[in-house]
Amino acid sequence: MRPENYQAKNHPPSNEYELNFGPNHPGIEGNYALQLKLHGDQIVHARADGGYLHRGFEKLMEGRLWIQNIALVPRICVPDPAPMELCYSLAIEEIGGLEVPERAQWIRVMQLELSRISAHLFTFGGHAATTGMYSNMYWGVADRDIILDLFEELTGGRVYSIYNIPGGVRRDLPEGYLERVSNTMDYIESRLPDYDNLFFTNQVFVNRAKGAGVMDQEQALDWGVTGPNLRATGLAFDVRRDDPYLVYDQLEFDIPTEAAGDAWARTLVRRRELIESIRIVRQVVKALPDIGGPIRCPIPNPLAWTVPAGEAYARVESSKGETCYYVVSDGGDMPYRVHVRGPSSMHAVQVLENLVKGCRIEDVAQIMFSLDACPPEVDR
Amino acid sequence: MSKSIVKWLDNIIADVEGVGYQRKSDRRIRMDVASDTLPTLLELLRGRASYVHLSAITCVDWIEDDEFELVYHLWSYENNTLVSAHTRVPRSPGVYLSVYDIYHPAAFFERDIHEMFGLYFEGSPDMERFILTEWDGPPPMRKDFDAEGWVQRKFNFQDYHPEWLKQLEDEGGGVAIRPEEVRAKKRADKP
Repeated sequence: MRPENYQAKNHPPSNEYELNFGPNHPGIEGNYALQLKLHGDQIVHARADGGYLHRGFEKLMEGRLWIQNIALVPRICVPDPAPMELCYSLAIEEIGGLEVPERAQWIRVMQLELSRISAHLFTFGGHAATTGMYSNMYWGVADRDIILDLFEELTGGRVYSIYNIPGGVRRDLPEGYLERVSNTMDYIESRLPDYDNLFFTNQVFVNRAKGAGVMDQEQALDWGVTGPNLRATGLAFDVRRDDPYLVYDQLEFDIPTEAAGDAWARTLVRRRELIESIRIVRQVVKALPDIGGPIRCPIPNPLAWTVPAGEAYARVESSKGETCYYVVSDGGDMPYRVHVRGPSSMHAVQVLENLVKGCRIEDVAQIMFSLDACPPEVDR
Repeated sequence: MSKSIVKWLDNIIADVEGVGYQRKSDRRIRMDVASDTLPTLLELLRGRASYVHLSAITCVDWIEDDEFELVYHLWSYENNTLVSAHTRVPRSPGVYLSVYDIYHPAAFFERDIHEMFGLYFEGSPDMERFILTEWDGPPPMRKDFDAEGWVQRKFNFQDYHPEWLKQLEDEGGGVAIRPEEVRAKKRADKP
């Protein structure tokens, strides 16, 4: 809402007061706002207010060539852009019947898992900051930067890689790249005990996060919760295992779950996912040298490329949850319709509204970070 | 996925009249259903076939047919299959039934579709604007909405004529070809 359009409402006398939490608030994730109603410091009503990041991606995509949209989609989720590119590419490959070479699939898995690690490190940093522990944020951003260096070397872009294209990936690995990936994984793993001491077993964090924003499994399923937030309520579901794409069915990894369903459980699930992601990257590093062949299948001139008429629903497990793209083609050189289903469209709206009800004002930021809500995905 | 589940699903959808059933791959099923039987189908799929997760509702504007296509993507945590239920509703008057009482996540998607396509869902708990709070134009995701034309009419930045540009034009320079005019001409030439 524009400030000039704000009108104070006259309420009957009560002990409640309104508080606009965000969009410019250090405790809120991204440009997003919550309109809270408070009684003392307890929240009695919350209403999500989005739209501050709306850039009309879905409409823009209808006016751009299939290949041009690759540069557009990663911008939908800034901390974890790789699943966005991949999901869009998967949908086009399904409609167009493109066969992705095996080497490209393994490289994609590596990029996705690196992206997941970097996104989780970022989220831990933000979550720690909401409980007053800023050191963890500095560490998380610094360690994320080492992974961004790997992305820069591989793709040319640090944050938005624009690396997955329909049919494969843009570039092959540089010389000695796998060794550097392996070294980085060793480094990240060696840092985990430090993170444990600083954050995950820190009594400040444990006392604050335990019991904050609790939901049980039934509520989670009812509200459409996915990803680590669902696994924190005890349901071992992961798109990578249960609706496998790429070569995830050939990889070994566990699905960590927790039973408590509170902010602490959600963060712990992410912490344990880091180890699984490192495990997956190590398997890819081991397997990739033996997988030769091309890195993409030939596609016609991208500027005059038409995709046959059809529709596809592609699903990917991003660091936030279930990310889906529904792409419709009418046989033209541009998509007829692209619908982006970001996991945060559930987490940041109705789940957040429900979870903050009854909690205290200082826990709002923490609950939002523990849900790993990403406002650009809501606004699209 | 075992054959028994396929049979089981077939039995369930046999209860609903006029369901087009197509197995696209191992874990993708497409169903085409008339708009008045869709809520019944969803209720069956949720209540009797464990499709408890509504992944998304997509709206596609088929302007040539004068219809909106609504696609309900449902996932079953037990069968590990995704059902996409397609239905079509006329563009005008643009009213359809909410499935909020079957799937609670529908509230967000229906609100979003109402905002972007102008399709109203009867029975949805909240049809207030979410993203385009102060929007006064037509629903922007409709195919007949010309985004650039609307921007050109709405904002007067084409009148932007600062001193430095005036100086340049006095010296014989300036913008020779205005890109928005070129694009407008291209749009007008399009059949």
